[in-house]
Amino acid sequence: MSTATERSAAQPSRAGQRADRDIHFEVEQFYYHEAGLLDEGRYADWLDLLADDLDYWMPTRTNRLRRQQALSIAARGEAAYYDETKDSLAWRIRRFDSGMAWSEDPPSRTRHLISNVVVRHVDPAESPEFTEDDLLVRSVFLVYRNRLVNEENVFAGSRTDVLRRTGDRLLVARRTILLDQNVLQAKNISTFF
Amino acid sequence: MSSIIEPATGSGAGPSASGGERPVGAATAAPRGALRRPVEMNRNIDVSGLVDAEGGLLDRSVFTDEQVYRQELRRVFAPSWLFLAHTDQFHKPGDFFTTYMGEDPVIVTMDRNRRIRAYLNSCRHRGARVCRADSGATRNFTCTYHGWSFDLEGKLVSVPNKGGYPESFDTKDWGLVEVPHVESYRGLIFGTWNPEPVALREYLGDMAWYMDAMLDHDDEGTVVVGGVHKWVLEGNWKLAAEQFATDWYHVNMSHTSALTVLAPSGKPKAEIVHRTGRQYTDPNGHGAGFPVHPRNRFDAQTVHKWMDYDALRERLGEARVEGPLTNGHATVFPNFSYLPVNGSIRIWHPKGPDRMEVWAWTIVDASMPPEVREAQRLYNLRTFGPSGIFEQDDGENWSECQAIAHGFITNSVPLNYQMGLGSEREDGRHPGTTSELYSDAAGRGFYRHWRELMNTPAWHEENR
Repeated sequence: MSTATERSAAQPSRAGQRADRDIHFEVEQFYYHEAGLLDEGRYADWLDLLADDLDYWMPTRTNRLRRQQALSIAARGEAAYYDETKDSLAWRIRRFDSGMAWSEDPPSRTRHLISNVVVRHVDPAESPEFTEDDLLVRSVFLVYRNRLVNEENVFAGSRTDVLRRTGDRLLVARRTILLDQNVLQAKNISTFF
Repeated sequence: MSSIIEPATGSGAGPSASGGERPVGAATAAPRGALRRPVEMNRNIDVSGLVDAEGGLLDRSVFTDEQVYRQELRRVFAPSWLFLAHTDQFHKPGDFFTTYMGEDPVIVTMDRNRRIRAYLNSCRHRGARVCRADSGATRNFTCTYHGWSFDLEGKLVSVPNKGGYPESFDTKDWGLVEVPHVESYRGLIFGTWNPEPVALREYLGDMAWYMDAMLDHDDEGTVVVGGVHKWVLEGNWKLAAEQFATDWYHVNMSHTSALTVLAPSGKPKAEIVHRTGRQYTDPNGHGAGFPVHPRNRFDAQTVHKWMDYDALRERLGEARVEGPLTNGHATVFPNFSYLPVNGSIRIWHPKGPDRMEVWAWTIVDASMPPEVREAQRLYNLRTFGPSGIFEQDDGENWSECQAIAHGFITNSVPLNYQMGLGSEREDGRHPGTTSELYSDAAGRGFYRHWRELMNTPAWHEENR
């Protein structure tokens, strides 16, 4: 396996380029594995897929006039459903282990569907904290939740990730989640995306 | 006989214009022609038998009955002061925010004289909303159906094909219907359709003393974090409003998991579980509960460390600093609630007997430096709001209560509000009437006031 430095002499830079088929397959399998962990409630295992410097952000979205569309996604520092570090996610997850997190006891049934995956190599010129071995990935999700007797929710949206290549693994280092809802059509968000 | 709902002509005091005379308003008495709404459409029922505030019993139909709900819109929401927005949402003329009063959509905006005004968000022509954005800035509100356009003062300023209307048509008669009274209290803007309300400050009464514990830490007051959390709940709006008025009781059970993860030892602190405190119950239906303890907070340390408790004691007094400033819950009747320690303010919009929409803002002290504001924002979004580790479980409780409430037998079994019955007194330390921290006193007070409003013909009814 060659390092980025060795490769750079022989190969053109991959910065910003579409990833090849093998990497695409690897990323999709990574996401399917991740989705399975969330659907099975294996949150501690899910946490292992997240980088220690994780930035996990899910802003709220508002209805704005077309000329003010730039403001339709809440800015950093404004209202968000999630604005998390790995530690704060761990803190949220510990709650489920208490056996007294009633909003998920009995647990909901969820199904995370991940699709429309587009993988590019990070361009370090734009994101200096990453290398071109790391991946900038756009994907979309459809999450179905069925709770208790007849409660149903559908959460649809997109994710923009930076996946960091660490040894032979990928880790989620950045994730921005855009939910395609204005007024959240659910009584709570007790799952992750 | 008719029931008349006159669009407003009253004079309100905007938050930015203290008591100035309102310019001749755009909202005028609506030409009614031969229209007379039959009174049978708004048949009222006597709810005396549904609330036993003195005995602490409640008929569950108040949460489920469609007729009770329609009557609430007419007699509880239409006459009461309702929360609209925070003054920090309006900085220049044309800034607007759309919300609801009861189920009525309203636009709150700053007019050219920098007065905060509110209008029914409904075109006078065919009734469509004239503004469909949540917030923003504009010069006018134009209906996208036929193009009637209204300025920031609510005046009808443009009518396509105006020549097609009869001589008698006067644009002055067809301005946006204005909320007749809009007033603010320490940054919180309220409005009422009642043409002759008591002043907001008078309506709040002693409740203002408790509210100041969150809103008046220093001369700079509060500002809002950008954006509003909005979500739906399958539950009657009163389930949430009464809980925030009267219910510390649920904290230890409902929120065990959250208290557990907040505690470094991994188990809820005894000093939180075995907490004493007081609960305030207001004759206008408001309520507030708070543990009394010098080290009450379990919020972000950054915020805690920044607070200058000596200065706060100087300004607000010991009783407030050790009580409602550091923790607790509160509701301003009917549907505005807040959590002082979180800076969470919210409104429970009614959406039918079985459904509410929650809108929640985070407020911070204007004097807070950026890192303290950020700590407050993050603490609130991680604990309250739809993904908050506390609030997730509140939503579960309310939807659970509502989901089964339509069963005939279920619905006819009275509910218990007897905790602390007879314990209400003046305690000499907190204004007004208080009870124990663990009590249903403010719940009984909430429903007592609700019963009174429900049985009193409102301003829009004849023969009052």
